[in-house]
Amino acid sequence: MLIELKDLNKTYDNGQPLHVLKGINLSIDRGEFVSIMGASGSGKSTLLNILGMLDNYDCGEYRLAGRLIKDLSEKTAADYRNRMIGFIFQSYNLIGFKTAVENVELPLFYRGTGRKERHRKAMEYLERLGLKDWAAHYPNEMSGGQRQRVAIARALITKPEIILADEPTGALDSKTSVEIMSLLKELNASENMTVIVVTHESGVANETNKIIHIKDGVIGEIEDNSAHASSPFGADGVMK
Amino acid sequence: MIRFDIDSLHEIRETLGRNRSRTLLTGFGVFWGVFMMLVLMGGGQGLKALLTQTLEGFATNSGYLVPNSTSKAYKGFARSRQWSLTTDDMEKLRLSIPEIDIMTANTRIRATAVYEDKKYYCDGKGVYPEYIYMEPPVIKYGRYINEVDMRQERKVCVIGERVYKTLFPEGGDPCGRFIEMNGIYYRIVGLNVSNGNVGVNGWTPNSVVIPMTVLQKTYNRGNTVDMICMTAKPGCKIKEILRKARTILAKEHTFDPEDKKALFEVNAEEMFSIVDKLFKGVNLLIWLVGFGTLLAAAIGVSNIMMVTVKERTTEIGIRRAIGATPKMILSQILFESAILTLLAGLLGIVFSVLTLSMADIVTAATGTEGVQFQVNFGTAVLMAAMLAALGMLAGLPPALRAMNIKPVDAMRDE
Repeated sequence: MLIELKDLNKTYDNGQPLHVLKGINLSIDRGEFVSIMGASGSGKSTLLNILGMLDNYDCGEYRLAGRLIKDLSEKTAADYRNRMIGFIFQSYNLIGFKTAVENVELPLFYRGTGRKERHRKAMEYLERLGLKDWAAHYPNEMSGGQRQRVAIARALITKPEIILADEPTGALDSKTSVEIMSLLKELNASENMTVIVVTHESGVANETNKIIHIKDGVIGEIEDNSAHASSPFGADGVMK
Repeated sequence: MIRFDIDSLHEIRETLGRNRSRTLLTGFGVFWGVFMMLVLMGGGQGLKALLTQTLEGFATNSGYLVPNSTSKAYKGFARSRQWSLTTDDMEKLRLSIPEIDIMTANTRIRATAVYEDKKYYCDGKGVYPEYIYMEPPVIKYGRYINEVDMRQERKVCVIGERVYKTLFPEGGDPCGRFIEMNGIYYRIVGLNVSNGNVGVNGWTPNSVVIPMTVLQKTYNRGNTVDMICMTAKPGCKIKEILRKARTILAKEHTFDPEDKKALFEVNAEEMFSIVDKLFKGVNLLIWLVGFGTLLAAAIGVSNIMMVTVKERTTEIGIRRAIGATPKMILSQILFESAILTLLAGLLGIVFSVLTLSMADIVTAATGTEGVQFQVNFGTAVLMAAMLAALGMLAGLPPALRAMNIKPVDAMRDE
């Protein structure tokens, strides 16, 4: 198992305690294409933050590739994030004053890779995502889909264990959403990349092979969706 | 593990260049602080040099006594009585005050020096050979008045630079020529080109100096002198000597020892120490003002960096999410601040050096030599080091704040 969660609990304490995750048990294997679905407030973003080592949990156990991820120092967490996880965000989270290629290079910069090597790799990934001609452009000169593809290149460049996508199509129109989802699907299929997508759109979830429903801080139904037939809107459709 | 390489430099250039006007305004504060501080320092130094030059050729441990009319009735004498110092007084003072090192005197007369068809209104000044210790002459040609001149009452003179330039516009050695002063001919034996701006009983370049004995005889001065000049032996205070001299002279000439007006005294030592203290004060003020300005500028940098960090919360969060360690963020902000401060400061150093150079050129053009406004290299280097440190220090609070930004906070901010 690549990811193993055992009785994971998380409580936010802002004035009055808010018990967000109430004992999450979950395992995700290498090469799975999974979506975590739930309404807002269900705890799915918190779960994603914990999976991405952006946040700590209170009790339970989280193992990533056999390593126990608990009470990491900021430095170690940063290092693990850099090596093991590729993030894709709803709002792309590209750095506005850096060009596409510089944005893609950034994770390697923090890893300490040399300049030329970094640039070469970044160009390689941009090319794979069909953005070679846009390498020198700034994010605000690109469309949403292009920006998200830059973000995907940035997530891929470190060859991470898992890709964590937080509402990756949340800011995109339906056509681009389909493109991005099929890109993720293809990544999963061709490179056996583990992809976890957090979404509240059933159409997006329908693209994945497994849908994990989360409600009020506990895991509900885990749906096998290899037939991509769970969405009421039918196969290959993205609900918008 | 704080790393600083060409990539970090590139990052810093990028972020500083992003909000150019803000960077410029912040940098200007530092620039101005450094500029002010260095210009003030150079200015203070130059002014001090100018003043020191003005006082050149003037014994600093000297005291002067000049008789004046009495202002108090004393022992049957009415007030407003005139009296004179005499050579006898000098002898008496010398014998009774062992702290006196050199004692000499001068007397001045208004005179017209004439050579051929040229005239100059000068100060005729009677002196003793020891007078060289009071106003050290700079002899270009010939010699100063000597013991033999005194004894033989030779009609010889040493002329000042202005007198020389007017009477001998063609230049050359004037020694051996005769000039006429108030009806009597004197042979020139020396040219004194001393150019100090302080004159004791007449300004040196304006003077025709003759032996005291000659002046007393030819101009009917008996044994009187205008002014007694003294220097103190090492370790002795002029003030003490002047106090003793006053007591002795009051007794000798029967005036009230409490009558300050009857005997006018000048204590050069005290004057010099006042000037010295003044410049120490000015220097302190310069440092206070300069450092204060610089500190204010550094606080400005700190403030702006704080705002920048706040603005860049998301960006920093993204960087953290994709693998930047807190230390990397810390060093980035720290170096940003240090480089901004250092660059602006270096510009300030360059401009102040240019300004001070201009001051140097102007003073040189007005014929003043040896006055330096320019700050020395060490000061500039010290300044640059101080700037780097100050910049780091200014960057510390915002950098610590940036370091504490959690990636989740950044995501939440949206």
